[in-house]
Amino acid sequence: MRSRVIELTVNDEPRELLAPPGTTLLAALRETLGLTAAKRGCAQGACGTCTVLLDGEPVMSCLVPVETIDGATVQTLEGVAGPDGGLDAVQAAFLEGFATQCGFCTSGMIMAAEALLATNPEPTRDDVARAISGNVCRCTGYESIINAVLDAATRRTAAVS
Amino acid sequence: MPITVETPESVADVVGALGDGAIVLAGGTHVMPRINTEPHDVSALVSLRRAGLAGIDLAEGEATIGAATTLAQVGADARLAFLRPVIESIASPTIRNLATVGGNLFVEQPYGDLAVALLALDAQVDVAGPGGSGSLGVADVTGLPAGHVVTAVRFALPAEFRYTKAMRRRLNSASIVTVAAVLGPEPRLALGGAGRKPIRSASAEAVLAAGPLDRERADAAGRAALEDAEPFTDAYASAWYRGRVLPVHVRRALIGEAA
Repeated sequence: MRSRVIELTVNDEPRELLAPPGTTLLAALRETLGLTAAKRGCAQGACGTCTVLLDGEPVMSCLVPVETIDGATVQTLEGVAGPDGGLDAVQAAFLEGFATQCGFCTSGMIMAAEALLATNPEPTRDDVARAISGNVCRCTGYESIINAVLDAATRRTAAVS
Repeated sequence: MPITVETPESVADVVGALGDGAIVLAGGTHVMPRINTEPHDVSALVSLRRAGLAGIDLAEGEATIGAATTLAQVGADARLAFLRPVIESIASPTIRNLATVGGNLFVEQPYGDLAVALLALDAQVDVAGPGGSGSLGVADVTGLPAGHVVTAVRFALPAEFRYTKAMRRRLNSASIVTVAAVLGPEPRLALGGAGRKPIRSASAEAVLAAGPLDRERADAAGRAALEDAEPFTDAYASAWYRGRVLPVHVRRALIGEAA
């Protein structure tokens, strides 16, 4: 039962970590790499607060043993902001649209939103609801979150054109 | 209990790694919640991620889907567009990026809607084990002895496929009742939420086979389906409620909402 050396590209940087047997991607991010944006909510894949992008796809990191994804690319909320620390369009829209209250769901919500906007830059309201349907919010409610994602899409499209 | 994680790179190595206390790990959406939060006696997880079991092939009207193909991959494949409503009725996109076709066969109802569809499609399930490989029906998969692994599902593309799933919420909710049917000279109809395993309704199939499909026959098929159902009570619905609405959803699956 040896720990295994795992290589990941995390937020565009190559990282190497020592994973004790059975370590989840979430635990590796939080406890080994010190990236604590992804949260441990239910540990059952039901709440979505641990959502990160694995090879570009949003997944629940609590459900992925890190030993099964050696060599993969992972993006977390820490990698979303610009190199100067400036907020990206989704973060700015969440902040200005009051789409965050306690904040526990926010990092997962933003990663689910980033994944949506990467493939669907002009989503409908229903597209957004579907994209965040695995992410639970227990305080702000979903309306302001959906509004913020739509706002972020508008900001991005405006910035491009 | 401490746990090891194996990542074999072939089916033979998967089977070889499935010793005492080892279980198959496909997408992890069903296994990992248990490992993370419950006492268990699992000593090893044998991951299918590198075993070469993901992929979709279509040839001569038959689809073959590798066991480790994700639900998202099935939902994105235009050649399998008839399955999209099934896939989109299951959990959330984030779960569907992990959850696999093979894994869905082992999930107890009221989950496992793809298994209901595969039962209606009369899919064959390819398995590998210590004694070699073989195939069996969807209904027999949960009886598979330890040490075996599902490698693929195969089915003929249907001419007319029908599906409906009643949920408490519009998105990301378990089944109250699920109905999947393949229409034609030998109709097949499968039910979810009507027992802890997906159920083929021979009674409803007999009604459908007896004549053209109209409102009366759809209603009769719904009543007949109830004869084969063993609805149960859980947090989503009571057994009474499931039984009450089952005929309605069978009818809606067959001839649409408005009828």
